[in-house]
Formats: sequence, C-alpha cells, structure tokens
Amino acid sequence: MTRQPRLPRPARWLLRLSPMPRETRAEAEADLHELFVGRRRDRDAVHAHWRLYHDLASLWVHPRAVERSATRRSSLALMRDATLALLRDARGDLRYAVRLFTRQPTILLLTIVGLSVGLGTATGAFSIMNAAVLRGEGLVDPDRAPGVLRTTDRSVSTAWRYDEFLHLRQGSTRMQVEAVLTDTAAVWTTTARTTAAEADAPSAGLALVSGRFFAATGGRVIAGRPLEGADEQHAGPPPVVVSFVFWTSRLNRDPQAVGRTIRIGRTAATIVGVAERGFSVPNSCLLWMPLTAYGAVYDVKHLSALVKRTPDMGVQVFGRLLPGVALSEAEAQLSGVAAALTGGVTASESALRVRLDSHVGLGRLSSSDALGITVFVFVVIGLVLLLACANVATVLVSTAITREREMGVRAALGASQWRIVRQLVTESLALGAIAATIGLVFASWAIPMVGTMIEAPAGTDLTPDLNVYLFLGIVTLLTGVGAGLAPAWHGRGADLLTPLKGEGARQNRVAPRRLRSGLVMTQAAVSVLLIVVATLFVRATFRAASIDVGFDAAGLYAASPGLSDAFKDDGAASRIRNFWARAMPELQAVPDIATVTLAEMTPFGDITRTSITRDAPARVVNFNRTRPEYFDAIGLRILAGRTYTRDEIAAGAPVALVSQSLARAYWHDQSPLGQLLPREIPVSSTRPVVIAVVADAITARLHERSAFAAYEPLDPASERFAQLLIRVASGTTDVIDQARQRLRSIDPQADVRVTSVAARLQQEAGRPRMLAALTGMVGIIAIVLCVIGLYGLTASVVDQRAREMGVRVAMGAQPRDLLRLLMWDSLRPVVLGLAVGAGAALLASRVVVAAMFFGVSPQDPMAFVGAAVILLAAAILAVLVPTRRAAAVDAAFVLRRL
Amino acid sequence: MKGERLGEFEEFTLLAVRALGDNTYAVPIQRYVEKVTARPISIGSIYAALARLEQKGFLRSTMSEAVAQRGGKSKRVYTVTPSGLRTARDLHRVRERIWNAIAQGARS
Repeated sequence: MTRQPRLPRPARWLLRLSPMPRETRAEAEADLHELFVGRRRDRDAVHAHWRLYHDLASLWVHPRAVERSATRRSSLALMRDATLALLRDARGDLRYAVRLFTRQPTILLLTIVGLSVGLGTATGAFSIMNAAVLRGEGLVDPDRAPGVLRTTDRSVSTAWRYDEFLHLRQGSTRMQVEAVLTDTAAVWTTTARTTAAEADAPSAGLALVSGRFFAATGGRVIAGRPLEGADEQHAGPPPVVVSFVFWTSRLNRDPQAVGRTIRIGRTAATIVGVAERGFSVPNSCLLWMPLTAYGAVYDVKHLSALVKRTPDMGVQVFGRLLPGVALSEAEAQLSGVAAALTGGVTASESALRVRLDSHVGLGRLSSSDALGITVFVFVVIGLVLLLACANVATVLVSTAITREREMGVRAALGASQWRIVRQLVTESLALGAIAATIGLVFASWAIPMVGTMIEAPAGTDLTPDLNVYLFLGIVTLLTGVGAGLAPAWHGRGADLLTPLKGEGARQNRVAPRRLRSGLVMTQAAVSVLLIVVATLFVRATFRAASIDVGFDAAGLYAASPGLSDAFKDDGAASRIRNFWARAMPELQAVPDIATVTLAEMTPFGDITRTSITRDAPARVVNFNRTRPEYFDAIGLRILAGRTYTRDEIAAGAPVALVSQSLARAYWHDQSPLGQLLPREIPVSSTRPVVIAVVADAITARLHERSAFAAYEPLDPASERFAQLLIRVASGTTDVIDQARQRLRSIDPQADVRVTSVAARLQQEAGRPRMLAALTGMVGIIAIVLCVIGLYGLTASVVDQRAREMGVRVAMGAQPRDLLRLLMWDSLRPVVLGLAVGAGAALLASRVVVAAMFFGVSPQDPMAFVGAAVILLAAAILAVLVPTRRAAAVDAAFVLRRL
Repeated sequence: MKGERLGEFEEFTLLAVRALGDNTYAVPIQRYVEKVTARPISIGSIYAALARLEQKGFLRSTMSEAVAQRGGKSKRVYTVTPSGLRTARDLHRVRERIWNAIAQGARS
C-alpha cells in the first residue's frame, strides 16, 4: 500500500482553481509533490513552500497550450475560463475607463465626491444604527422576555420588592423569572484604594442581577463563565462579569482578565467572565454582579449578608417564557402566584396582579419599535444612495450622450450590446470602488464624531463590524451596477448610422433628454423627501430640548440618601426621617440654595407612580406625593386654590392638587376646587378633594407628553420613599458639591447621590435627538448631492446645446432670453420633483411613528415650505453658474467650431 | 509566431529530454533545466514548453505505468522525435556557423 502524495491543503485548492485541464491535474499534483519533497529534503521547508506556490502561480502565467481535442470539459472549467476571459476584458475596460476619466477631470471629481459622500453617509448611518438599534443590547428574542409589571387596580409599576420577586420566582412555572437593578458605581481596575484615586475613578453602569440572568437573556461570554444561580451565595469577593466594551477600554483586552480582582464601589470583586461583544443588557451596562452583592458594593453593612436580609430592595423583574408557553398563560399563572402577596398593598387596593408586557422588557426599544426605526433608517439610507446613484447615472448619461458617437463606432466595428454595457458598468464600478474607499475613510472619521455628538452611552460599541463592511460592499456593487445600467439602457438599440453622422444628426433625440429629466426629477424628489423628514426631526429635537415641560430643569437637582434600601430595618425608617429632618435646615442654610423640598417622585426619575383612567381614551395620570414647597422649587404656578397646610400633611388628609389639563378634561370651564377627584381616575383609600389647580408639567415620559397629574401631601409615613429636590440659584456651580458634602456628613452610612434634573431631561430627549442629528446631516448631504448633480448635469447639457445657443444668438436672441430658456429647461424637472417629493414626504411622515415627533405635526407646513425653498434656492444656484456662462456665448465662435 | 522553430527555453527543454535519456518526465526535466541554466524554473513553464514542443511534433509523450513512489499515479513520459532531434541539430549548426564566422572575423 503506498501513501497518497498529498500537497498542503491550500496548494491543493489553488491547483483545483488553476487553468490546468482536469485530466492532467492529478499528474501535476504528483509532480508538484515530488518537487516539494525534494526541495524540503535538499534545502528547507520555507524554501520548499515558497517554490511550491511559485510553481502554482506559474500554472496561470504559462497556461498550457489548449489542446483542441474532443475531451469534454466540465461546466466548472468552462465557467472558470469565462471568468478569466471576463477579467482579462475587464482589465481592458478599466484601462479605457481610466483614460476616459482623465480627460474629464471635473465631471469625474464631482461624481466621486458625490458618490463617496453618499456611500460614506450610508455607511456611517448604518454603523450607528447597527450599534444603536440593529445590534441592540444583545437580548435574545426580546418578544419572549417580557417585563413583569406589578399591577393593582390603582397602579402599574415596574418595581417589585425583592422579597416579592423571590416569591414570584419560586412560584412561577410557565416562565423563568429574573430580576435586575441598574445603578452606577465607581470602578477601579486595581485593588489599591487611595483616597486620591477615589475622587476621580470613573463610574460605570452596573447591573445587579439575579442568578440566572444570563440564561434568561441569552447572554454569552467569550472568556470565563457567565453568572450562575450559585453566584447568589458567593463567599468572599463577589463575582463580576465585565462587558466586551469594558474589557477593551478599561482592561486593555487583558487575556488574563478572568480571575483578576477589581474594585467596584466599596468592594473588591473577582472577574469571572467577559461577555461577548454586543451584549449589554440592560441599559448598555458595563458590569454584571449578583443582586446579593448590592450591600457590598454600596457598603450597606447589614445587607452584605444574605438575600433574606434584603427584602425591600426595589428591583425590576422580567422573565423568559418557557418554550411553547403563551404570554397570557404565563401572565395568568404568575398573577395567581402574586395574589398571595399582601405586603405593601393597602386595604382598598385589589390584590396584586401581574401584567406581562414585552414593551417594557429589558431592551431599550422593544423589537417592534426597533423594526420601525430600522425600516425608517433603511429607507433614508436607500434614498441617499438612490440620490448618489442618480447622480452618477446623470453624469454617465450626459457623458454617454457625448459618447454616442464613440459607442456608434464601437457598435459598427462589431462590439456587441453586452460589450458596450459591460464597458459602462465597469466604468461606474471603478468609480464606485474609488468612492467606497474614500467613503469608508470619511465614515470612519465621522462615526466617532457623530457618536459623541449624539452622546452614545458609554457601553455602545461604535467600531464598524463585519456587517458594516458587508453592507458597504454590497451597496457599492449595487450603486455601481445601477448607475452604469441607466446609461446603458439609454444606449440600447442605438442604430449604427445616426451617431456616425456627427453631432447635428442626433440633436432631436428625445429619449436621452427624458431619461435625464427623469433622473433630475428623482434627485429633486428624494432631496425634498429627505429635507422634509430632516426638518421634522430637527424641529422635533428643538421641541424636545425646549419642550415645554412646564418647569425650569436647569438648576434643579434630585438627591437620594442611599438609605432607602434599609427601610425594612426597624431603625431605618426613623433614621431616614431623621436624615431628612437634619438635611433640610442644613441645606437651607447654604446661601445659594433657593429652595429645598421633599417629593416621592422627582422629575424624570426611574420610577413613576401612575394611574390609568377608566374612561376612553384611557389616559395616564401621574401621581406624586410632595411637600408644599415642591411647586415653588420646581417652579409650577398655582393657578387657583392653595397648597396643603401643615395640618393636612401631618394628618395625611385626602386633598389633592390637579394639573390644569386634568382639570380642563374633567371639569371643562367649571372650577374643580372643592370637588372630589373624578371617579374615572382610580385612587387608593379616600377620594381626595381638589384644593388647587397647578400649571401643567411633564415630569415623566417625555414622548407621552402626559400633563395629567395629581399631587397629594407627603405624609411622614411616606417620607422614607422620598427624594430631595434642590433648586439652586442660577449661575452657581459648586453649590451642589457643597450640598453633597453636607448631606454625607449627616450620616456616614448614607451613599448620597445627586443627579441633575436637566441631565435626566437631556437623556430623555436623547433618542429623537440622535435621529434628528442623523437625518439632519443626511438632509444636508442630500442638498449637497443634489447641487452637485444638478451642476454637473446642467454644465454638460449646456455644453451640448452650445451650437443651438449660437444659432439663437445669431438669430438675434438676447442673453436674457437664453438664460431664461436654459434656466427653465433645467429647473422644470426640479419643480416636478419637488411636487413628487413633497407628496412622498407627506406619506412618509405619517408612517414614521408620530410619537417621536414631540408635538410637531407630521404635516408641519414649515418643514415643507422650508424644504422647497432650500432646494429651489440650491437648484437655482447650481443651474445659474453654467447657464450664465452659456448665455454669454459668442455666436461666431460657436458656429465656427461646429 | 515561432511556427516550427524553437525558442530558447523550448530548446533547453528539448535538449534536457534528450540528455536525460528518453522516457523522462516533467520533474527531472525541471530539475535539469534549473541546474544547467542556474536560474529558478517554474514547473508551469516546463509544462507549457513540453506541450508546445509536443504540438510542434518535436516530442512524443505516452502515459507510463503506475509508479509506486508517486502514490500509484502514472506519469507522462516524453521522447524526442526524429524531427525534434533534427531541428535541434540544425539550430546547433546555425549557431556553430555564426560562432565560427565571429571567430574568423576576430582573426582576420
């Protein structure tokens, strides 16, 4: 038995691809192997390999003379030969294209600029969307991972108490129930802890999760292991899984990261795993730790023990439906489990129920939302590309008209239709390849900039991945072929004689003009569409940024003592009350602090307490318990009536202030003062009496724009849930640090956290701002592309009509007449496109989620008029330059030249 | 077009087949040519030359019996045809004449 001589695998592959006839391939393989073995023996392996691949390459360089024998050739070999021939021809085409381009540098430059801007934009927009929406946070199958809502007939809340969660988890049979608590903590990548370093350790988004969180979300690790159920009972430093972004940016891709100890908050933690790239559930967080590590991280001493000791920690609960289980089925089963829970439910409330809602799950955007945005973004990208494509096509068509004679000669010499089409497609592909390279450079330069501009969260991974490169490749190919096909289509069926007769004979052909006008029209329409959408978004952003939330967020800060986790502890409730009692006068003594107050909910905080009205349409009413100074602090005018008195607060009297919108909705023009809160609004205990109407304010979800609110007095019992609201005098900066220090000095155990309400508001407005920034840029680019296209086109059209102009001048036409004629001819398709684009924009803006527009009507006349004016102005500018030149034509010169 | 003439590389190849004794194959030919010309020769160029020479009728090839060393694969072995030999000799003679002329020129 002899051993089969085997070449290295790549060599075998290359041989199979080589132009060697199949019958001789085995022989060649044996020859190559023999040489290879000999060379390896005589010299060394490197030399042998080098010569082997050299020999393989020589099979291409010295193709064996084709034997015209009757041997049958495989279809693969035929295809290979065809491809080789095509490549050889393409080289010729390419060389020709280069020669042609160098003769028309201006047009070439315009085309490349236009195309690279188009491709770059598309790539940039795609990468950002890819990072922000498409890639999401890595939650697997979000529709099967609904949020678990704590529901009574009075309230719907996303927060559960920790012991309630444990109860749910134990009782659930239809779904895996998990909990998560997100927060931030300072993180040091070393264990050394010095007070100097403590001050400037960057904080990172931290998710404290229940044991089987990774199993429920589908999160995987690239090193180490994910968190597991057993981690809830960790001994020693708590385990932590770090995200890919954290591993890259903070740990410098340390291959020994697993097992390393880092410092998170007030504890050391051992890295047990590195999550795979793209996984950042929830809220683009960077670190995951077991919930039981909460006490250790925030140094709440008595909580650092076991789970059972931390019953009142508020957590967000979600679940993963078991295979084959319907949402309603799991909801019913879990409601049954929740019904047994009684703690925290007041007597008048019905039993706890569970509502499962995949829209409030862990993903920032639910999948259907993401789908809408994705479709929208793809449409926008598609439009920009269409624009770039139309641009290139326009240029190629106008050169094609000039080149008609050349094409005629080619056809007369026997070039097939296919040959001519191929020439054109090769040209546009060459253009596309150059543009794609520039576009990629442009995009990679622009993406991080855009990233900062839109304030992408720290966990977002913006570096382009394979998807992005693939996208760019496919898009370039499509653009190239698409742009090349348009003029080719135009050139189809050209007769052989007419072009050869010279310039005069082809003046009357209508088809190219129509195609050209069509392209210009498309460009104009797409531009208008993009500008309208961009304007809508930009206006929406301004609305969102300057949205009348009804109060001044600047200078407003919310502070929590970081003790609220302890309120089940007997002493804790009174401790918090003491904290507040000492904090209020302490802060009021600071000269730059205007007002200090307590409220259960601070504006745009994490948790809201809402009630859904029973009438149709159901509305969301935000409930809040406040101190009387709340309205003063946040800056809400009391329109009628009075705030609560001290007695009412102390007694927890059933009185309420309602917002103006709510008053108007239920009492219309009558005064609500002294009336009971309407029955349509479900409330706990006694129905409160309305004692005042206050100005509207949006304090919860920005895009809901729900200004329905009811304010009740914050009774001492509820104070432990409260947060501090501080209004500082305008123009002061360090006062907040001062306040923070004073608060810390009150209770050493307190982990005081102060956040700016303005920052929260900005974050809330972030999503539409991001879209606005993107579409705004796209809109500007659309205008640029349109102007480039129009300019290039008009220039070449005017050039072609030079003879006509000369004749006209010779017949006595004034430059003004010529200008008018040319302008009108060039602008007519633009105007037509305007009309078409406006219609399309009207449709498109209806499709785009109205909720994102923050009260800007999709039929916003400003946007439409603005878009039309901008485009027309740009078009006139683009057309004016070449036409003016043409109108100043010297008749004698032109006529002589032709 | 070289027609029925020999190019330099073809000549080397043809002579190598003759020198190696008939019934030789591509690998020894490659080694031989590489050795005598003292420059790296790729197997592809040898294949091409052999194929051209065969087409011109200067070489004849047959498939050999399966050879154990080559994993049971047969190989194509080449023999110089009389016309190949004649052409090579003609070429040699032409060269000789020229060199002779050069030598005489130098002498006179």
